[in-house]
Amino acid sequence: MDDRKIQILIDTLLPLLKAGVAFTIPLTLVSFAIGLLLAVLTALVRLSSWRIPKLIAGFYVWVIRGTPLLVQLFIIFYGLPAVGIILQPFTAAVIGFSLSVGAYSSEIVRAAIISIHKGQWEAAFSVGMTRGQALRRVILPQATRVSIPPLANSFISLVKDTSLAATITYVEMFRTSQQVVATTYEPLLIYSEVGVIYLLFSTVLSTLQNYLEKRFDRYSAS
Amino acid sequence: MIEIHDLHKSFGSLEVLKGINLKLEHGKVLVIIGPSGSGKTTLLRCFNLLEVPNRGSIVLGDTKLDFTNVKKVPQKSVLELRRKTGMVFQSYNLFPHMTVLGNVMEGQITVQKLPKEDARKRALALLEKVGLSEKADSYPHQLSGGQQQRVGIARAMAVEPEVLLFDEPTSALDPELVGEVLKVIKQLAAEGMTMVIVTHEMKFAADVADTIILMDNGHILEQGTPQEVLVHPKSPRALQFLNRLSGEAE
Repeated sequence: MDDRKIQILIDTLLPLLKAGVAFTIPLTLVSFAIGLLLAVLTALVRLSSWRIPKLIAGFYVWVIRGTPLLVQLFIIFYGLPAVGIILQPFTAAVIGFSLSVGAYSSEIVRAAIISIHKGQWEAAFSVGMTRGQALRRVILPQATRVSIPPLANSFISLVKDTSLAATITYVEMFRTSQQVVATTYEPLLIYSEVGVIYLLFSTVLSTLQNYLEKRFDRYSAS
Repeated sequence: MIEIHDLHKSFGSLEVLKGINLKLEHGKVLVIIGPSGSGKTTLLRCFNLLEVPNRGSIVLGDTKLDFTNVKKVPQKSVLELRRKTGMVFQSYNLFPHMTVLGNVMEGQITVQKLPKEDARKRALALLEKVGLSEKADSYPHQLSGGQQQRVGIARAMAVEPEVLLFDEPTSALDPELVGEVLKVIKQLAAEGMTMVIVTHEMKFAADVADTIILMDNGHILEQGTPQEVLVHPKSPRALQFLNRLSGEAE
């Protein structure tokens, strides 16, 4: 590699990292937080006995899982203005990613809740708890532990999926790299560089996952 | 006082309880025995509505529930009954994410809304009673089966129920751990705790029971003092069941 290329790598590293920290990470965090809330709500509704809300929740999961995320983002950002709903790129991206995380992760949360032994519900009921109390105090804390590995998976996927926001004009890390390529004419170099930064983010998150799993494991022998 | 009248329970087309009548005075111990599939656990689970009967009535203190022609029992009544009963499960069912102390405090804090300090005090006193004060900060998986079951008993007692329900409390235990659990239950009986116990331990049943009922196929086959039921049963079916048990013991 010649000196010019090394110089380009060094010069572009900081702007790329900056875009990652200032735009990719906030987009990921906000979308995941809202998505997780949606996921828990959806899972609870689907496990409830309310007929109509259950149908709606099932429909939501069906549609979001059955259509490409990219198509969803295009509908939200380029499609909705046709009916008078004009959204900022960030808002559109957050809506798209939250809905996606909510749908996929609701299945994780639902499975985690189902996996908790029936005896735990009964023990909670036997001391006089309502369904809501049992859920909050006994079931969800245990389900959280079960769902950490698959949820971490969703989270890491999301970090990478946020690069799709580049297509709806949100200048996050990947879009920044495209702009850098446009001025340096070094696609191999720059796209590899941004790939390595995504890898770095994912690695940090995996480490965080391991830490969380260990923390939640203190009460379990298995 | 508990009074159960004409209790029926079906799972689909299978009728598990076929008209159960019984009465238990305050401070007495009722032991339910019978072959597996006889409906004894289902009957016990009707006491705190983990199973909801299809017909009949349950009276517990001033709570009276009639299930005949009732589509759905109001949640308020369900909670009222559950708050007057405590249950000890065959497989303990302790909350694995809470310490031993946390398990015993949980009902008091979440259900009875006691201040933490009061709950802790009562929980520690109960743990002392079951001989596990030094395990207060352990997690359930760190305990032996017998210790876990004693925590289960303390947890059930913590909400100050009028009746304690035991569902085969020693069936999941290694033989050498059965004694420590039975000892705690006997101590409670001596203190005048009202209890309903489903068990296969005949010697224990004879020791602790004021009344024994022997169930078979959804009916009460024999009902009386341990002497009456275990030594002088009236029906041939009861005799057969008891003989088979004593055969196994030898």
